[in-house]
Amino acid sequence: MNRTMVTPFVCAMLVAGAAYGSPQSPDRAKADAVRRAVGAISPSLVTIETIGGAQPVVNAGPMGVFEESFKLAEGPTTGVVLSDDGLILTSSFNFARSPSVITVTLPNGTRASAKLLGRDLIQRIALIKVDVGTLKAAAWAKRSDIIVGQYAVACGRGLGSPEPHVSLGIVSALARRNGHAIQTDAKLSPVNYGGPLVDLDGRVLGLIVPMAGAGGALAGAEWYDSGIGFAIYRDSIDRVMDRLLAGQTIEPGKIGVMLGDDTDDEIPLLDTILKGGVVIRYVAKQSPAGTAGLQVGDRILAIDGQPIGDVADLQRRLSDRAAGDVVKLTYKRRWKIDELRLTLARMEDICCWPTRNRPAEPKPGEEPPSTQPSGD
Amino acid sequence: MTVATILVLAMAMPSPTPIRDVVDRASPAVVKIYGAAAGREHGYGTGVLVSADGNVVTTLSILVNGRNIRVVASDGRRYDATLVRTDEKRQLALLHIDASNLPYLTPATTEAIRTGDTILAMTNCFKIADGDEPVSVSRGIISAKLPSLRAKRLAQEFEYTGPALVYDAITANPGSAGGPVLDLDGRFIGLVGKVVEATATNTRINYAIPGEQIAEFLGGKATEAAAPAPATTPAHSGQEPYVGIRLSELGYRHVSAFVERVRADSPAARAGIKQDDLVIAIDGKRVVDSTTYQQALVGLVPGQTVPFTIKRGEQVLNLPVTLGVQPE
Repeated sequence: MNRTMVTPFVCAMLVAGAAYGSPQSPDRAKADAVRRAVGAISPSLVTIETIGGAQPVVNAGPMGVFEESFKLAEGPTTGVVLSDDGLILTSSFNFARSPSVITVTLPNGTRASAKLLGRDLIQRIALIKVDVGTLKAAAWAKRSDIIVGQYAVACGRGLGSPEPHVSLGIVSALARRNGHAIQTDAKLSPVNYGGPLVDLDGRVLGLIVPMAGAGGALAGAEWYDSGIGFAIYRDSIDRVMDRLLAGQTIEPGKIGVMLGDDTDDEIPLLDTILKGGVVIRYVAKQSPAGTAGLQVGDRILAIDGQPIGDVADLQRRLSDRAAGDVVKLTYKRRWKIDELRLTLARMEDICCWPTRNRPAEPKPGEEPPSTQPSGD
Repeated sequence: MTVATILVLAMAMPSPTPIRDVVDRASPAVVKIYGAAAGREHGYGTGVLVSADGNVVTTLSILVNGRNIRVVASDGRRYDATLVRTDEKRQLALLHIDASNLPYLTPATTEAIRTGDTILAMTNCFKIADGDEPVSVSRGIISAKLPSLRAKRLAQEFEYTGPALVYDAITANPGSAGGPVLDLDGRFIGLVGKVVEATATNTRINYAIPGEQIAEFLGGKATEAAAPAPATTPAHSGQEPYVGIRLSELGYRHVSAFVERVRADSPAARAGIKQDDLVIAIDGKRVVDSTTYQQALVGLVPGQTVPFTIKRGEQVLNLPVTLGVQPE
C-alpha cells in the first residue's frame, strides 16, 4: 500500500529534476567531472624525458621468448609527485633503457635534472628525485574507500600533448596481483605508464604500471589498451619505500627449481591428487634450492605455511617475493615431511641446470630445457 | 501502476543519453567500402556520405586504387564508386557514387571539443557488418587534442602530420579508417585515421583527422594553400643560422648532443654555452642527438633569439642564444 503511494511521488520528483533541475545529460556531467579530476591532479603530474641508453636485451626465459615486436620509443613518459621536496614516483618501464640522463618537466614548465633512486622490478615502479623543493604532492584515495565500478581516470604525458592525455574507465577489480594492484578497464599503455589512475576527485587510486605476460624488461606492453590494466596501491608502494630510498633495485626472487607438470606420465595423477603439492623435476646446482639441498623428486607442499595446490599456485605465491627474501618451504622426501628456509636469489644468479634427458642425474653447466613449465 | 509511471517518466524526460539519437541520425550516411587489397593492407574500409549526390569521403589507402571500388550504403544497396581525388598530405580521398537524394553529414569544427568529451566512432572494423548490417559503434572520450600527429606506418614516417583528435575508443583496427567520429550533438567532428604507431610510444594510436581538415579537403583547397605561410623572416632570410658549437661525434648512430667545442666569440660562446654541456632542447624542441639538433634548428633564422636548454652537471639551464650568420 505504502509502496504505490510513494512511487508516483518519487517519479514526479525525478521528472521535475530532469526537466528543470539539471538540463545536462549524464555524459556532459561526466565530461566535466573528468576535466575537474584532471585539473586536480595536473599540478602533481610531471613529464619525464630520458637521453641515452639502449633497447633492453630480449629475455629468452623458460617461458619462451616474449613479444619481440614491441620496441621502446624515445618519447616522454609520466611521473607523479610523491613529496613536496622532490620525490617522484613512476614506472620502472620508463627506465628499461638505462638512460644516462633523466630530466623532468615540472607542472610550471621548468625542466630539472633528475636522479634515479631505486626500482622495484616486481611491481614495476621506480622512484626518482629532483632537487626542487616546491612541488605539490598528489593526494591519494584511501584504499578502503575504493570500490569496483567507480570511475577511474588514467592520466599520462606520453604523447607529449600540452595537456595530460586521459582515458576513462572503471575499477574492474580490487586486490589483484597478490593484493598489490587495482585492475581497471581504462586504456593503459606507454602513454600513461608511470602516471596516476585517479578518481573523479583527482585522488590517486594507484600508480599505472605495465603488467602482463611473464618476466622481461618490457613485459606488459603487449597488453596495452586491452581493457585490462593495473595500478599499484599506495600501501604496496610504501612497503618497499625504504629500499627504493636506499637506492636498491628489487628483483624477483627465485628458488632455482623446475617443477613437474601434473599430467607428466612420470608422475601418476593419483599420486598428485593424494599427496598434493608440486614435484621438483630439476634443481639448479648453483641456486637457493641447490645450496639448501632440495632434490629431484622432492614434493613442495607449502610455502610459509600456506599449502600449495599446483604449479600456478606456487608461481603466484612467489610472484611478489624479492631476491633476498627468506621463505620457509615445507617439502616431502619419500615419506618424510620436513621444512627448510632459503633465501631467494635473482634469476641471473642461478645457474648450472641438469640436462633434460637424465633429470635424475644432473649434468651441471647446461642451459635449462626450454619446454619446462616453470622457472621458479 | 509502476508501468504507467515509467511511461510518464520516459515521455517527460529529455533524452538522458543522446547516443541513440546520434547513431540513428548518422547511420544512414555511413557506408562500407570494398576495394583493392595488397599485402598487409586490407581491402575494406569505411566512408561517409558528404553530399546528397553521392560524394563519399574516406581515408587515403590502397583501397581506393582498385579498378573496382564498391560502396555499400546503410540500407544494403551496392554502388560502383569512382575515385574523384586524393590528398596525400591530409590522407583523405573522395569517391563518387551515382545516386541522388542521399543522406549525408557535413564536417564540423572542433574548436569547442575538449578533453573528456564523449565521442562515438562508427566503423566497418574487421568487416564484421555483413550485407545491410549496420556498422559498429564505439564510444569513448577525447583523450587529447594533438596540435600535430607524429606517427609511423609500416616503419615509415606517416604522411599526415596535422592536428589530431585522440580518444580512448579503440579504432586502430582494420577497416575502421574512414568512419565518422561524432560528438553528442551528432556533429561530424572527425574521420577515423589509418592504423599507425605514435612515434612517442611505438604503440598504436586511436585518432581522427579533425573536421576542419575534411572541410578544407572537400572545399577543394589544396593542402599547399592551406598550409600557413612561412613565419616572417628577419633580415637574413634563406640563410642557415649559426650557433658556433661542434657536437661530439663518435660515429655511432645515437650519440647524445654533448658540446665538444665552442667557437670563440660565436653566438653560443656569447650565450655562455661551454664545452661538455649537453643540449637537451632548442626552443622547447627536444634534442637527443646530432640529427634532432639539426632538426630543431630548421626554420630558425639568423637574428632570432631562442632558448637553448642545457644540462651542465646536475643543473638544467635555459640560455638564450642569438643566432648568427655563418662566418665566411
